[in-house]
Amino acid sequence: MTATKPEIATVPRQTALPDEPSRWSRIRHWLYRFMRQSPMSAFWGVIAIAIVSVAVLAPVIAPYDPMRSNFRTMTKPPNEKNVFGTDQIGRDTLSRVIWGSRASLTVAFAAVLLGTTTGALWGLACGFFGGRFDIGSQRLIEFMQSFPDLVLAMAIAMALGAGTGTVIIAIAITRIPFGGRVIRSVVLSLKEMPFVEAARGLGASNMRLMFRHIRPQCIAPFLILATTHLGVAIIIEASLGFLGVGIPPPQPTWGNMLSDALNSGLVPPWWLVLFPGAAITVTVLAFNLLGDGIRDQLDPRLRRAI
Amino acid sequence: MFSYIVRRLAFGLLTIIGVSIVVFVVMRILPGDPLVAIFGPDGYTKLPEQERASLMAQLGLSDPLWLQYWRWVKDIARGDFGRSFFRSESVAEMILRRGPLTAQIAFLSVLFSWLVGIPVAIVSALRPNSWADNVVRFFSILFLAIPGFWFGMLMVLGLLFTFGYRAPLTGASLLTDPWTTLQIIIGPAIVLGLGQAAYIARLARSSLLEIIREDYVRTARAKGLDGRRVIALHALPNALLPVITLSGLLLGFVLAGSIPVERAFGTPGLGLAMFTAVSERDVFVMQNLVFLYAVVFVVLNILVDIIIAWLDPRIRYQ
Repeated sequence: MTATKPEIATVPRQTALPDEPSRWSRIRHWLYRFMRQSPMSAFWGVIAIAIVSVAVLAPVIAPYDPMRSNFRTMTKPPNEKNVFGTDQIGRDTLSRVIWGSRASLTVAFAAVLLGTTTGALWGLACGFFGGRFDIGSQRLIEFMQSFPDLVLAMAIAMALGAGTGTVIIAIAITRIPFGGRVIRSVVLSLKEMPFVEAARGLGASNMRLMFRHIRPQCIAPFLILATTHLGVAIIIEASLGFLGVGIPPPQPTWGNMLSDALNSGLVPPWWLVLFPGAAITVTVLAFNLLGDGIRDQLDPRLRRAI
Repeated sequence: MFSYIVRRLAFGLLTIIGVSIVVFVVMRILPGDPLVAIFGPDGYTKLPEQERASLMAQLGLSDPLWLQYWRWVKDIARGDFGRSFFRSESVAEMILRRGPLTAQIAFLSVLFSWLVGIPVAIVSALRPNSWADNVVRFFSILFLAIPGFWFGMLMVLGLLFTFGYRAPLTGASLLTDPWTTLQIIIGPAIVLGLGQAAYIARLARSSLLEIIREDYVRTARAKGLDGRRVIALHALPNALLPVITLSGLLLGFVLAGSIPVERAFGTPGLGLAMFTAVSERDVFVMQNLVFLYAVVFVVLNILVDIIIAWLDPRIRYQ
C-alpha cells in the first residue's frame, strides 16, 4: 500500500536534545510522521474518527427517532424528508443507520478489547511459564481455532440468548486465540533477552518480570492486533445480526436492518439494503486501512505475522 | 511421508475429540436452558413443573452430564444426528439432502477465487506499484471489507431490476438437473469466491514478489529462458505453496460464510438449515450442525497439511 522506509519504526528517533520532549509533542511528532509516511491510512483514519463521532453524537445528529414508526410514510424511497427512505413501518432509515453505528462500534470495540486482552494475558502467561501449562493452553487454543469464527460466535450467542452483552462475549471468545498466539510468540523471544536475565538476577519476582519488564514490549503487537481485528469484529457482528442472533430488534444495528429488509417480502426495497450495507463496508474499510497504517508505523516486521 | 500422515491423522482425531467437548460445553453447559430455547422465556415459565421434569427426562437432560455427552458421541458415531423438534426429517437426512449444494458452492467458489486471484496477483507482482497493481490492491482491500451477504443481496436485487431474473429457489441434484443447480449455486459461489480471491491475490502477490528475488529465478533468467517460462515454471510453483495452505483454510471459512450468504440468496443448502435451526432455537440440531462444521474444518486442514507435505519435502522431514 504505502511505502515504508527501511528504518525500524519502534526505535525512537534520537532528538539530541538534553531534555525529554513533552508527551504532547511526541504524539504530534508521531502523527505528523504517520501522515507523511502513510497518507492513505491517515485519510481513512480521519474517516474512522468521523464514524466514531457519528456514533457518539447519534442523538444529536439523527433527524428522527430510530424506533418511532410513522404510518404515513411507510416504505418510501429516498426523498427530501427522509434522505435514505423509510422502512415498512415508516422508521427513518438514515436515523437507523446512524444509531446502528453505535451498536456496531460498541460491540466491535468491546469485543476486540475484551478478547484480545484476555488472549494477550493468556499468551503472556503461556510464553512466560511454558511447560505443562503452556502445552495444555496451546491444545485448548487449537480446539477453539477448529471452528470457523462465525460458527463459534453463532453457537455461543445462541446458547447465551440475545443481547448486547452476549454478542460482545461471543465475538470476544473468537478473538482470544489470535491474541494468545501472537503475544506468546513475542514473549517467547523476549524471555531469553539479557535484560530479563539481568532483572531476574537482581531478584525480581515473576509478576514483576512479566508486567514491568516484558509487558511494555508487547504493547505494539497488542495495538496492531486490536486494530486489525476491529474490521473482522464488525463483520461478525453484522452477520450475527443478519442471522437473528445479534442484538435483537427494535434496537437498530446494521445487521438486523438488513435482516428486516429481507423479511419484509420477496423483494426487499433497494434503499433498505444499500445503506446499512454501505455503512458496514465503509466502516470496515476505514478500520482495516487505519490498522494497516498503524502496523507499518509501529512494527513493519509484523506484516507477515498478523 | 507415511509416518507424517499417521501422525497428522492421530492428532486430528485428538482435535475432533476436543472439539466435541467444546461444542457440548457451549451448547449444554453454558447458562441457557434448552427448554427456554425451545419454548421461549414466556412459554418456559408457564410450563408446569411436572411437565418440565418429564420433558427433561424424555430429552435425556436430567441425566448426569458425562452420560449425556457419552450418549451424544455414541449416537454420532452410529450416524444418528438426532431429530429436530419442529420437523419430521432426521438431521442426518437433512445433511445428506442439503450438504451437497453447500459443498458445490464451496468448491466452485474456491475454483473461482483461484481463477481470479492468481492471474491478478501475477500481473500485480510483475509490475509492483504500476497502475494495474494499484487497482488490484484497491479491489482486494475493498472485497475484504464488503460483507458477502450484503453483496449477495445487492446481486439478487440488481439481477431482478435489470433483467427481471431470479434464480430458482428449489434445488435439484447436479446429476439430474445440472442447469437449475448451476443457477442456484453460481451466485453464492461468485460472492464467496470474490471474498477469497481478495485474500489469495494479496498473499500470492507478496509471496511471488519474494520468490522473484531468489537466486534460482535469476539463474533461470540468466541462462536465457524467456520471462514467461521463468514465472510459470520456476517461480509460480513455489509461490503457490502458502496460497494452497491459505485456500484450504479459507474453504473452512467459506462454509461458515455461506450461512449468511445462503440466507441472502435463499439457497436451500446447509447454511440455510443452520440459519433455520438458529431462528427456531433448535438446540440439538444446532449442536450437531456446529459439530459437523467443525469436523469438516478440521478434516480440511489435515488434508491441506498432507497435500503441502506431499508438495514440499522440507515440511515432511521436520
